[in-house]
Amino acid sequence: MSPAQAAAANGPQVAAPLWVLLPALVLLPLLLVLPGISHGGGWELVGQFASAGLQPSLDPLVLRSVLSGLGVTMGIALLGWAGSVVLGVVLGVASSRVVWQTVTGSTALAGWIRRLLALPRSIHELLWGLLLLQLVGLQPAVAVVAIILPFGALVARVISDLLDALPTRSLEALRCAGAPAGPALLTALGPPLLPQLISYSGYRLECALRSATLLGVFGLGGLGTELKLTLQSLAFRELWTGLWALLITMLLLEMLLGRLRQRWAMPGRLALGQTRVGGSGRELLWAGAALLPLLGAVAWGLGVDPASLLRWQPLPPMPAANWGAVAALPWGALVGNTVVMTLLAAALAVGLAPLLLLLVQPWPGGRWALQALWALGRLWPPPLIALLLLFLLQPGIITGALALGLHNLGVLGRLLLETSEHVGDGAEQALLGAGSGPRLALLYGRFSGLARPYLAYGAYRADVILRESVVVGLVGATGLGSQLLEALSAFAFDELLALLLAYALLTLVGEDLSDRLRRRLLAGAPRPGSPGVGTPDRG
Amino acid sequence: MRGRREPRLAEVSLRIQAGERVALLGPSGAGKSTLLAVANGLLLPDGGTVHWQGEPRARSARARRRQQARIGTLWQDLRLIEELSVQQNLNAARLARWGWPRALLNLVMPVETQACATLLQRLDLDPALLGQPVSALSGGQRQRVALARLLRQEPLLLLADEPLASLDPRLAEELLALLLAAGSAPRALLLSLHRPELVGGFDRVVGLRRGYIVFDQPASSLTTAQLQALYAEDGAP
Repeated sequence: MSPAQAAAANGPQVAAPLWVLLPALVLLPLLLVLPGISHGGGWELVGQFASAGLQPSLDPLVLRSVLSGLGVTMGIALLGWAGSVVLGVVLGVASSRVVWQTVTGSTALAGWIRRLLALPRSIHELLWGLLLLQLVGLQPAVAVVAIILPFGALVARVISDLLDALPTRSLEALRCAGAPAGPALLTALGPPLLPQLISYSGYRLECALRSATLLGVFGLGGLGTELKLTLQSLAFRELWTGLWALLITMLLLEMLLGRLRQRWAMPGRLALGQTRVGGSGRELLWAGAALLPLLGAVAWGLGVDPASLLRWQPLPPMPAANWGAVAALPWGALVGNTVVMTLLAAALAVGLAPLLLLLVQPWPGGRWALQALWALGRLWPPPLIALLLLFLLQPGIITGALALGLHNLGVLGRLLLETSEHVGDGAEQALLGAGSGPRLALLYGRFSGLARPYLAYGAYRADVILRESVVVGLVGATGLGSQLLEALSAFAFDELLALLLAYALLTLVGEDLSDRLRRRLLAGAPRPGSPGVGTPDRG
Repeated sequence: MRGRREPRLAEVSLRIQAGERVALLGPSGAGKSTLLAVANGLLLPDGGTVHWQGEPRARSARARRRQQARIGTLWQDLRLIEELSVQQNLNAARLARWGWPRALLNLVMPVETQACATLLQRLDLDPALLGQPVSALSGGQRQRVALARLLRQEPLLLLADEPLASLDPRLAEELLALLLAAGSAPRALLLSLHRPELVGGFDRVVGLRRGYIVFDQPASSLTTAQLQALYAEDGAP
């Protein structure tokens, strides 16, 4: 066989560096459709909004209300986060195969607990919040519990996955030497788990801040409520006061957590380039000890009263269930729209981040500008982006997908920048040294190694977006999400139940698909010691 | 070129003619890697000038890239792109000369197969390897593919920073022979060596110590005394 034949036998095949750009192809149909759904007016409003960014209101009244709103949001985030980590660790240990195996010799129960936990995990915190709101009325504890439930179940899954993926040799050695199950597990698996647990919890705190803001947009308290009200009343300067405050808080938090991760040598999200793990035990203890009184003070300050969650409100009179009407809902369109919106948003977020990075690569200030853009994307809860987009576009799944996509672009883009600082340095430098341009060097030298872990993370993100798609339901006609919100406000419990189940089922199927895709991507990685399954980061 | 405390390279004046094969000797920390990094353009000297083909280092990025395209480096860690095939790796050396269309095409289907196959044959590699991912190659094959990529760049100056350091003696000898053949006229070769006994095939040898050039002469006239002085411990003359 001649070399030409040998090469041709492989046929055309898209190589790794292009994989990360392929999702961006979704831009082409999107750009074709956009003129059709834009309604002309509104540019003036967008201009006013943008220029107000430079002159936020500094009125003492506004400042005071923004700061108190921010305090409530941060308090909710902190309490929800702490509760979800505690709950997640307990449930995670309880659903770990290796724990059950060591303690009872059978893993059957672990599987069942896992399956049970899938339900709270598959329902977005917003839905938990709105459900609780109907049951117990508006109070600070509602938002906290709404975060704890899905986050806790998610942390549990991650912990049990991590536990089950740890090497068990030292555990077996301890057991053979006669150590009882509990101490043996703690000694053998505790130390390797701890750094991953702490690193992952750090990311959860960032997610909790985003979620607390989002819950506020739906009236569950805190800064989000004010953001939505000022946006709807077109008080852009007041809106920006809140946004700037939130942006500064978010960036400070991310910076603090990043520093701590570095200081304590915790693994990063894609577990790339980690060399050593652990250390600084005493500092960790101090940090933990300082957190407890802080949490107590926050709970007291917010007036969170767990007992009040048990005092249910009298429910509005419920009509008899009408399952015929429920069955007559356009299920195909509802599910189809949700899936299409999710895929659009995911492709947009996954594909746009590397494309933009490639475009700005030659300019010195480019990365900085991108970082700013992505911080803004993360900052805005998707429903607020959707409301802003409504100035220009008609409501519908494309508007919803754009809102979800832009928000998640902020999350993915940050990750891409973080990761691209570790990966493929040598190959890129070699190409630059041989005279290739900065963009091609980035494409060939860096995106090659980045493709698999980045897309694997993108698969995770698609899963998050599917769950999150409910939150843009308020811009109308976006599939299951908008229908759910409608059923919630009407408290049509039959429809609500059916929709919740359908939604939960859909997210579970989505989760399974994204997990498979992720495993396939990571299994094909060429280098031994390249990123492991890593820790998921939903929310 | 200054390091954190004292200059890595102090007063160095080196002029390499086409067809010259120059070996760079010196103890570790003498500034060999720094000199090579200045030569391939990845480091900018704090003072002094770098000339290429009689002209100073270009100011505009585009013109500088054109200069760098003719200077090829063989990296000690090879720096192959693991995720790509052998052919795509070889073609990556052409990126400086290719525009986007061909650079993208190379990622989708095999391009310029004949040129790549010829190169592999020249280095005693089976052209059937072209379609293989680099990650599937053996250590010796990877070394040769890296050399093939260097040749595919068609450089006029070949640079290599201790390319033989991590190789077993047989592989090291083979690679050195290949490099010496590749670096003959009209090209030039500048290579840092940690084993002075290998300078036999070179035209010229340069000794570097603490950032200064200690000797610069034909390789055949190198004496044992010179080498002892070059590698002497601190404090000794």
